[in-house]
Amino acid sequence: MSNIPRGIRRGLFGLSLPVYALLYLPLSVIAIFSFAPSLHHPGINAAAYGALFNDPLVLAALRRSITLAFGSAILGTALGTLMGFGLNRFRPATGGGFWAGTLPSLIIYMPIIMPSLVFGISELIFFNLVHEYTGLLSAGLLTMGIAHVTFQSPYVALVVYARLTGLDPNLFEASQDLYANPLKSFLYLTIPVVRPALIGGFLLAITLSIDDFTISFFTAGPGSVTLPIYIYSAIARKGSSPEINALGSLMIATVIGVALLYYFVTRHQQQRSRQIPAVA
Amino acid sequence: MSAAMAAKRGAISLTGITRIFAGTIPAVDHIGLEIHPGEFFTLLGPSGCGKTTLLRMIAGFETPDAGQIVISGREMQGVPAHKRAVNTVFQSYALFPHLNVEQNIGFGLKMQGVKAAARKKRVDAIMELMQIGPFATRAAAQLSGGQRQRVALARALVNEPEVVLLDEPLSALDAKLRAELQIELLRMQKRLGMTFVFVTHDQHEALVMSDRIAVMSKGRIQQVGPVLDVYEKPKNVFVAEFLGLSNIWAFEPVSAHEARTAIGVLNIGETLAGPGMAMIRPEKIWLYSDSAFAAGRPNMFLGKICEAIYMGASTQYRIELHCGEFVTAYDTNNQAAERSWRPGEAVAVELKPENIMLVEA
Repeated sequence: MSNIPRGIRRGLFGLSLPVYALLYLPLSVIAIFSFAPSLHHPGINAAAYGALFNDPLVLAALRRSITLAFGSAILGTALGTLMGFGLNRFRPATGGGFWAGTLPSLIIYMPIIMPSLVFGISELIFFNLVHEYTGLLSAGLLTMGIAHVTFQSPYVALVVYARLTGLDPNLFEASQDLYANPLKSFLYLTIPVVRPALIGGFLLAITLSIDDFTISFFTAGPGSVTLPIYIYSAIARKGSSPEINALGSLMIATVIGVALLYYFVTRHQQQRSRQIPAVA
Repeated sequence: MSAAMAAKRGAISLTGITRIFAGTIPAVDHIGLEIHPGEFFTLLGPSGCGKTTLLRMIAGFETPDAGQIVISGREMQGVPAHKRAVNTVFQSYALFPHLNVEQNIGFGLKMQGVKAAARKKRVDAIMELMQIGPFATRAAAQLSGGQRQRVALARALVNEPEVVLLDEPLSALDAKLRAELQIELLRMQKRLGMTFVFVTHDQHEALVMSDRIAVMSKGRIQQVGPVLDVYEKPKNVFVAEFLGLSNIWAFEPVSAHEARTAIGVLNIGETLAGPGMAMIRPEKIWLYSDSAFAAGRPNMFLGKICEAIYMGASTQYRIELHCGEFVTAYDTNNQAAERSWRPGEAVAVELKPENIMLVEA
């Protein structure tokens, strides 16, 4: 960095300011306006937060969002982890070839690349078809959960795969060599070394689920309004209000909280596995 | 354990071992070897010669496509890696990143169900022996290359295996540390009396450390034998050249002990059966000033120095003979050496018959 001329450095810094402004000003606007005066509460106040926690519709939506997030994240992490292991085992570089390596990895990543609108609509059509012919999978939290798992698991797979490729492949052979049978090798080596990726993937899956609107919107049923859907319909009905701003602020705070949690949980492990220069 | 089996503890017997990866060229091709209990045995060869694959089959990470592996008198077919009384020191060390030094070393004992107290005793003892006690609670990532190497070795030795397999364990270290660890490794092996199977592509390392060497090329064993034999009496041109510099000429026999080569007729100690190749190591060539040249004395030739490379303990000379052929010779730089030579000086070289070896093409 230091060999970049000062003029260019200043120019780049100047250029970055509007980017940060575009990213964070709208978020601050929401937070500020959540304290704005409303019809029954003139003057700057926190009444919107109080109203939020007394609104049964909001509380029900929050409960559904949390149930959906944890339920789908647990399943999504489990599936994504297995996919991550599979990707690592059959990665093209280690002889997976096209049919066993490249093709499955493309299929796994597809939900990440696919526009969520297309994804949501196709899930909707699929669930409707299944329901029509079998009576199962009526639109609701279950269909939303299935849809969430499908887009969470590729992200988890990516995180786990990244961790596995960063490991010395001889580690697993070393554990066998040191008398660990496959079960012990899994318990005493695999689980501990991928733990940070499991935690990271799980937290990522939770934020993805809580945050998702498009896919949730298409797969939701009459009784399964989650927070993002509630916010959308509230704004569609009566425009922005201090309550909606308060809800948005709380969601921002939650995401920042989860990000910090991930940082503190994995920091310890990262420090350990980082290359530290030789000491004597 | 019966007396017969006890005698075989640490012995490895390989018969007809073949391993073919995708394709048809075997990585390991019908290898047969007997490795004796307690010996330091080296598999030496260029990269891709199959030496690591062979080691991995002994460890149980690879399954031979054909052949039989017997360790300490027990047939190993179908025996998984975790049930073999064999421990490996990996080229990358493969220390567990989530465990500290002590826990790394104790891993094998823990997996075998050794109780914590007994485990600590054995781990402490090996750390003492290897002088790694001060790092006991450090994470693997906090160690230097040499320390990691010691931990990897301790992690194998603490299990008191019948055989220790070492896959180029010193190749990532700098020259000085490497020389130190070579000696340390050797002392450790002699002290514990375990069989060591060591893989390397470094001929110098192989010469320093081994009791016996198997030179490998293209999945086959070119020669097996004690260090001295393999170096001094190489079986073929590949072995001769892989183990060090050599002068090699094709010859036609003139009589039972006389061979016509590109540099002239040579007297050779061995009896000649037909045309072949003759080899002499550079340090076996005698150098004199040209005034010492005695016409008619066999195996003596005149020439001039065209290159002198000072290497510390010795100097490597490239000499152009009058016939236009070149020979390479080493001369030591101690007091015993007659003198040192400069490029352009006229010299006489002598190739003593007993130092000329016949090698296969």
